[in-house]
Amino acid sequence: MLDTVREVYTPEGVALRLPAAGPVPRALAWAIDFGIRMVLLSACSMVFGLLGSAGMGAYLICLFAVFWLYPIVCEGLFDGQTPGKRALDLRVVSSDGAPVGWLAACVRNLMRTVDMLPFGYACGLVSGLLDPWGRRLGDLVAGTMVVHVPKLRDSAMLAANAPALPPLQPLLPAEQAAVVAFAERAGQLTPERRIELADIASVVTDAYGEAGVQRLAGIAHWLLGKR
Amino acid sequence: MRQEHFIQRHQQEWADFAQWLDARAAKPRRARDDPRWRGLPDENMPAAYRRVCQHLGLARRRGYSPQLVTRLQVLMQRGHNALYRPPLPRWQRAVEFLLADFPCLVRAERGVMLASLLLFVLPLLLSFIAVQLKPELIHTLLSPQQVADFDAMYAKSAGKLGRDSGSDLAMFGYYIFNNISIGLRTYASGLLAGVGPVLAIVFNGLMMGAVAGHLQDVGLGDPFWRFVVGHAAFELTAIVIAGGAGLRLGLALLAPGRRRRVDALVEDGQRGAKLCLGIFAMLLLAAFIEAFWSSMGWMPAAVKYTVAAVLWSVVGLWLWRGGRDRDAC
Repeated sequence: MLDTVREVYTPEGVALRLPAAGPVPRALAWAIDFGIRMVLLSACSMVFGLLGSAGMGAYLICLFAVFWLYPIVCEGLFDGQTPGKRALDLRVVSSDGAPVGWLAACVRNLMRTVDMLPFGYACGLVSGLLDPWGRRLGDLVAGTMVVHVPKLRDSAMLAANAPALPPLQPLLPAEQAAVVAFAERAGQLTPERRIELADIASVVTDAYGEAGVQRLAGIAHWLLGKR
Repeated sequence: MRQEHFIQRHQQEWADFAQWLDARAAKPRRARDDPRWRGLPDENMPAAYRRVCQHLGLARRRGYSPQLVTRLQVLMQRGHNALYRPPLPRWQRAVEFLLADFPCLVRAERGVMLASLLLFVLPLLLSFIAVQLKPELIHTLLSPQQVADFDAMYAKSAGKLGRDSGSDLAMFGYYIFNNISIGLRTYASGLLAGVGPVLAIVFNGLMMGAVAGHLQDVGLGDPFWRFVVGHAAFELTAIVIAGGAGLRLGLALLAPGRRRRVDALVEDGQRGAKLCLGIFAMLLLAAFIEAFWSSMGWMPAAVKYTVAAVLWSVVGLWLWRGGRDRDAC
């Protein structure tokens, strides 16, 4: 119940992990989109305001486009990402992990009419909180969901040229994975935190402080197969 | 196999695949026209993608480091997105849809369409006749100000019909925004167990009948009928179809049959969305006719009624015969 990642098996037999997005980032993305729409509309009203009565018609057509077509066209064209969703690293995908189609984009955005009821997306919020993957009513009907786009953090391996060291004691598979993950993630940590973590593993390094960090990195290299 | 070894052995494949994704996945049409591409050939892409999937499975199974697994996962996801994305829409397909698929779809849903038609026509006739018999009944539906507005819209025999002010283009924009929004909302509100479209259609029927009855009663029938008869062919039909699509969606929620409720909603939601595309086109055309043709006050009644007859028979023929050669109908 706490895990919001949906695992879908593709035809190739590997699991696709879809981390569902909750109401808060989606509301923020909507707010950004709303801002963009308002800017578009005010720009239109300034241009068409100069044209008088005919401009009024053009303005209303713009209003229609911004109100109904903006989310559909953005999601259809930009791979399920409106500008607001792109800013927050969200994406609309089909429930089976495939990119969202035009028809599904139409359905989920037309259904906003119902999600908005009775005010401020209350229906959508309730549905999103009840559903295990945070789908609002429109998503349920369209067969889509909103996911976080995975971010690839390519941090350099800690002490890439440190000599490979065998661990002083044999390590269980989970422990090996923890040591390797530490070495890969260490670039994102402060030196103090690194030392703190490496000290926990002093049983296998027989060292403390910065020396312990270096040795642990060496063990990670050894585990990965560098010789 | 140790992880470093694994990476060394397959790194080149992953790099080639990533390069292909960067260069050719985003714009397939433009990519095909580019003869200078020397990387992974397009036809080898699915095989390369399956290799990456296999590597990802191996990496997970062998407990390789999270960073490597994430890297392969991202690569696989990008490949998956490129391989399974929906086809680009084509203009030819759009025309085919409007001429053949849409009428097919309407006929396939004839039950709800008929229900929607009855829900619209019965209140319309009822309120029309009621206002004919008892003219003061109009005030139960409309405020005196609104009645006066309607009278003003059709009173000026020389000017434009059906409006008090505004140029053709302004009214075109207004009709697009107002009418298409009503149509789409009628469909979407079907998710409220079908209550939304029923209310919307019945209310629309009552109002139109009452207004028509009132104008007929006060002797403004001629300009009124001359105004509405043309675009009504598309507009009223579209509203009835929107109501039918909404009812279909409500039925999927209330009586899904032998499907799971959510599956029924997805399936009927897609059909409804297709209907909405057609409704959109119909209302666009109706707005065009309403703004530029229907409002011509000087056009003699005979011409107006002849054109209207043609439009009505075109709509009828289109919905009745369109796409009959298809297997699906």
